[in-house]
Amino acid sequence: MTIAQVFDYQRPESLEQAVQMLAEHGGDVRVLAGGTDLVAWLRDEAVAPDLLVDIKQIEGLGEISDEGDAVSIGSLVTFTDVINSGLVAARLPLVSEMSATVASVGIRNRATLVGNICSAVPSCDAGPPLLVHGAIVHTFGRAGARQIPIDDWFLGPRETALAPGEIVTKVVIPVPPGGHGAAFVRLSRYEGEDLAQASVAIVAPADHRFRVAFGAVAATPMRARRIESLLEGKALDPTLVAEAIALVSEEISPISDIRASKEFRLRMSEVMLQRGLKAAVERLEGNGPSYGTNLM
Amino acid sequence: MRTDVSVTINGEPWLLAVESNDVLLETLRSKVGVKSPKIGCERGDCGTCTVLLDGHTVRSCLVLSVEVDGHEVVTLEGLDDEGLTELQQFFVDMNSFQCGFCAPGIVLAAAELLEENSRPSREEVQEAIGGNLCRCTGYDPIIDAVLAAADAGGRATQ
Amino acid sequence: MTTLRPFEKESTREFDYVGQRTVRVDGLEKVSGAARYVDDLDFGPDLLHAEIVESPHANALIKAIDTSAAEAVPGVTKVVTGADFPFKFGLYMKDRYVFAQDRVRFVGEQVAAVIARDPKVAKRAAKLIDVSYEELLPIFDPIEALKPDAELIHPDLGSYTHVPWFYPHEDTNVAHWRKTRKGDIEQGFAEADVVLEDEYTVPRYAHCAIEPHVIVGLYDQSGRLTMWSASQSPYTQRHLFAEALAPLGLTHKDVRVITPYVGGGFGGKAGVSMEIMGAAIATAVKGHPVKIRFTREQEFYNTYQRQGLVAHIKMGVKNDGTITAIEHIMNWDAGAYVEYGANVVNAAGLSATGPYRVPNVWIDSKCIYTNLPPGGPYRGFGYSEFMFGLESHVDRVAEAIGMDPVEFRRKNAIREGDILAYGAEMNPSGLIEAIDRTAAAIEWGKKETSDDPNKAIGKGFAVFWKAPAMPPNASSASFLKFNEDGSMNITVSGMELGQGYLTAMAQIAGEVLSVPPSKIRVETPDTDRNPYEWQTVASHVTWSCGNAVHAAAVEAREKIFDVVHRVHGYEEESLYLEDESVRSSTDPDFKLPLRDFVIEGLEAPDGTFKGGPIVGSGTFMPEFTSTSSDPETSQGGHPNVHYTVGAAGVVLEVDRETGRMKVKKVALAVDVGKAINPSLIEGQITGGIVQGLATVLYEDMRFSEKGKLMNANFTDYKIPTAHDIPDETIPIIIEVGQPDGPFGARGVGEHTMIPAAPIIGNAIKDALGIRITSMPITAEKVALSVMKEQASEGDET
Repeated sequence: MTIAQVFDYQRPESLEQAVQMLAEHGGDVRVLAGGTDLVAWLRDEAVAPDLLVDIKQIEGLGEISDEGDAVSIGSLVTFTDVINSGLVAARLPLVSEMSATVASVGIRNRATLVGNICSAVPSCDAGPPLLVHGAIVHTFGRAGARQIPIDDWFLGPRETALAPGEIVTKVVIPVPPGGHGAAFVRLSRYEGEDLAQASVAIVAPADHRFRVAFGAVAATPMRARRIESLLEGKALDPTLVAEAIALVSEEISPISDIRASKEFRLRMSEVMLQRGLKAAVERLEGNGPSYGTNLM
Repeated sequence: MRTDVSVTINGEPWLLAVESNDVLLETLRSKVGVKSPKIGCERGDCGTCTVLLDGHTVRSCLVLSVEVDGHEVVTLEGLDDEGLTELQQFFVDMNSFQCGFCAPGIVLAAAELLEENSRPSREEVQEAIGGNLCRCTGYDPIIDAVLAAADAGGRATQ
Repeated sequence: MTTLRPFEKESTREFDYVGQRTVRVDGLEKVSGAARYVDDLDFGPDLLHAEIVESPHANALIKAIDTSAAEAVPGVTKVVTGADFPFKFGLYMKDRYVFAQDRVRFVGEQVAAVIARDPKVAKRAAKLIDVSYEELLPIFDPIEALKPDAELIHPDLGSYTHVPWFYPHEDTNVAHWRKTRKGDIEQGFAEADVVLEDEYTVPRYAHCAIEPHVIVGLYDQSGRLTMWSASQSPYTQRHLFAEALAPLGLTHKDVRVITPYVGGGFGGKAGVSMEIMGAAIATAVKGHPVKIRFTREQEFYNTYQRQGLVAHIKMGVKNDGTITAIEHIMNWDAGAYVEYGANVVNAAGLSATGPYRVPNVWIDSKCIYTNLPPGGPYRGFGYSEFMFGLESHVDRVAEAIGMDPVEFRRKNAIREGDILAYGAEMNPSGLIEAIDRTAAAIEWGKKETSDDPNKAIGKGFAVFWKAPAMPPNASSASFLKFNEDGSMNITVSGMELGQGYLTAMAQIAGEVLSVPPSKIRVETPDTDRNPYEWQTVASHVTWSCGNAVHAAAVEAREKIFDVVHRVHGYEEESLYLEDESVRSSTDPDFKLPLRDFVIEGLEAPDGTFKGGPIVGSGTFMPEFTSTSSDPETSQGGHPNVHYTVGAAGVVLEVDRETGRMKVKKVALAVDVGKAINPSLIEGQITGGIVQGLATVLYEDMRFSEKGKLMNANFTDYKIPTAHDIPDETIPIIIEVGQPDGPFGARGVGEHTMIPAAPIIGNAIKDALGIRITSMPITAEKVALSVMKEQASEGDET
């Protein structure tokens, strides 16, 4: 099935040029990076833009850089780039672990991490890890640059805090001070390429100020703050973990859809939390399963 | 909107007039006459439209033709000027494929793997082709051939 | 029986090519990108594209269709609707129209088509077709459809044309009812020590060949209709096209079907489904080739689907393990049209005892119209569906009498000469060997435990059988010709679906004529040039077309011997072929290479030439089959040519918390009669197991309350990836020769997916103590079942 709808295409060479195109064009404009979601949506007519602005020619958006207490990932960085980055693996193993679970090689070679959070589907894989790391989304528009905390980014299914006319330039992901362990646990029907039925990301820093976020169990990826405050600063023991698991049903609001029932998502979120906490703490202590091990 | 796109396809320069809503897969098949990338699902799920874009596998059903301006595309037809790669020969010798419709994508995915990792584990082979659906073979004969090619020191594009 | 079985004669010597792991003759084309499928063929700038307009309703009357807005779109060549083609079609029962006439019966049914040179224009214009519907209440549940007051989905059922072995029930939704009765069922249950009954459900499934259906039609200025089709059935398509379009003056000789390589079939490309639209549309745009390529979505909802089944099984056994009676009531959700699917129901209705000796049998197999997409053939042809329940039930019955389930199967296994449910005799069978070797391969009886405390390991076992479901006169034919260098071309009309058919045919002909398969090209079908084949379905082509190719090769051999005899004087009985040469047992020095004379003939002493191009032709029809039987009992006929049997076992690891399952080991033994090419058979086993496991572990079709398929894509109707396969697959080939098969071969293609569902169900029971009676058995279903079990245990304590 061909793409039947008609739209224009521009390929700016600078950010300024890009935002000018976005601003000057009256209609629906979409930014095109990897296109792995957008091209499919164009075919399905789930979107109907008048103009696509392809940002792949813009210099400087494809970099992963060390910012000391954070790692910056440019908006043209693909999941493959993330997986291949020694810097990310060393400092943000959770982001590496998550990236390796996304779709398949042929998609990851093209799909960008920033595009993933811009598409903002409820099962968006990058959402929970960026949430637990407290990432900052950097945008640029005619009104200038903005920094949007990831906690404020996801507004609803396929809806974000990105304003019309703005482009995401990078996402800056703070590295927890001191050592940390982490775990990305993902439930899917298949071991190979498949969308997540549910996911959980956990950061276990040295001070045990745990961060926990879930994916695909609410309208957006979401932090589990009650679980976080319950666990804060404490050593994990079976009783505490059981208490945390008991909170899962209060934190998340999964639905039944084609991929899983509400009941299964809820129960598996409990299992994922339990297994993820265990792995994250063990990794913090240096004796956990290697990153990339499927805990489900 | 019609645009001229300058692209290298299987080593040859092409100047193609494309519409902004043309998809690379269709352009390759209908305007370039390259038929190995197949139309399977047109939403990136099956991998049979796989091509190498600047050396890396992508789903040509999810790439607009205008996007490849200035880039290099290689399809199965262009994998080796000389004939068959050693990897392909292993696929033939081991009766790896059945209907063959997934083969163009899987051969390229495996070639990309061997280019980057000459001694992959079985699991790494599974991951490399984990986005390429095959309904016939149960994958084992395909995975076995990739591992055999690696064992033989067969690199994808020598 | 004293007649010499042909395979025994052949098997008195070593084979050069049959039985060898020959490299596929199509392998090089397929890994190099050279292989051409229909969509790869070029038709030039005149090619038109058709976009199909479909019903959004599951059951509705068409009140009006306004095509004017679409027709006004610049670039639109033509718009067609049902009014243009008031023609019925169907393989076994003519219950479909090319396009819906006054009524639509499922979501996705074709109502109109827009034809344009640019597919984008066609797609845009198709949205402008305005169809007014009057919605009717749809029926999706076959049990609902059986109720006496159910609305009739086909009120005119009584007037439909169908094959004589179908029994439609007028004024009901039962399109066909196969009844098989043997012995005295009540007596059988009375003799039993234990009688167990339960219900098993199986949802609908999709074939998911990676190549979508594609059809290109050209109705040229001379009145020829040429169709390029991604099909398993070129001749059947030609016949159905000619039959349906006969009102336009088309005859069989005017219709030509060309079928290049096919990117997977699995039954989905058998018969005629969307292709009928291509044929009809071509006649509406005379002189221009026109293409329909189904989208992946259409592939799911408007080709064939595997039918859903609700099966009720009642089985009686004695304490010593003897089965006394089986009652098997199968209610099939056959969908809106059953022109092909009714034969699935028929096949199941004849064989739902499974491969067991059963003295008392009662089978009802009902083909029930519903407002879901048309059911049809799918690898396994009904057997995968009913064997899930039957083989689950067998485990339970064995458990009930305290007998090991493998021992139980061994005790009741059908043997050569046993009387089948419909009265015919069972063919030679390696079932016992299959059971024993499979059990050994999975170390049956040895309990295994997982290193992971969350996980349990269970073992599951099942047997299977299947016969080709064919009309009694389904036949095959072959032409063979030599070339100047002693190489050969063979034309047949079976389809290379991936199973390796072309290679197997080359091996058979090569064996008879001592020519290596690498020197034989077997051509894909073109009904103008290649001789007849019924269809490439039913796992019958190696057997049936193999016989035809064998016959063609033998005919060529006789011509070779005749000319050698005439020119060189050797008695024909002394001649034989070896290494592409004619040899004589009476003269060790005589060696005449085939290439020296198979085109140019042999020069006689007088300077004249004898012989000429060597060609052969062969046909095969199973002349012993018959569908004439008593409609109330199915006794009296011989509807099935033979059964292929086997067994499978699995070692399954299950995570108690997540329900996730890992197949640690799976073994499958199948009696192929004679393995023409063991490598290809292993391919069928490895691939078939994964396809079968997919139906139990992952897949199913989900419909909305309105009958719309919700997962019509590979995102949510996904098939297993390279990660989702067994850790170890053990293929076991058993060879108890089929007397009438080429070199003793019988079919194997479908069988390898049949036991997958029950071995998983049985292994889950072994691992967790939970019996699941509905497919699929997903991780989710297992996990929720464990939770439920734990909750009820909690209640009890």
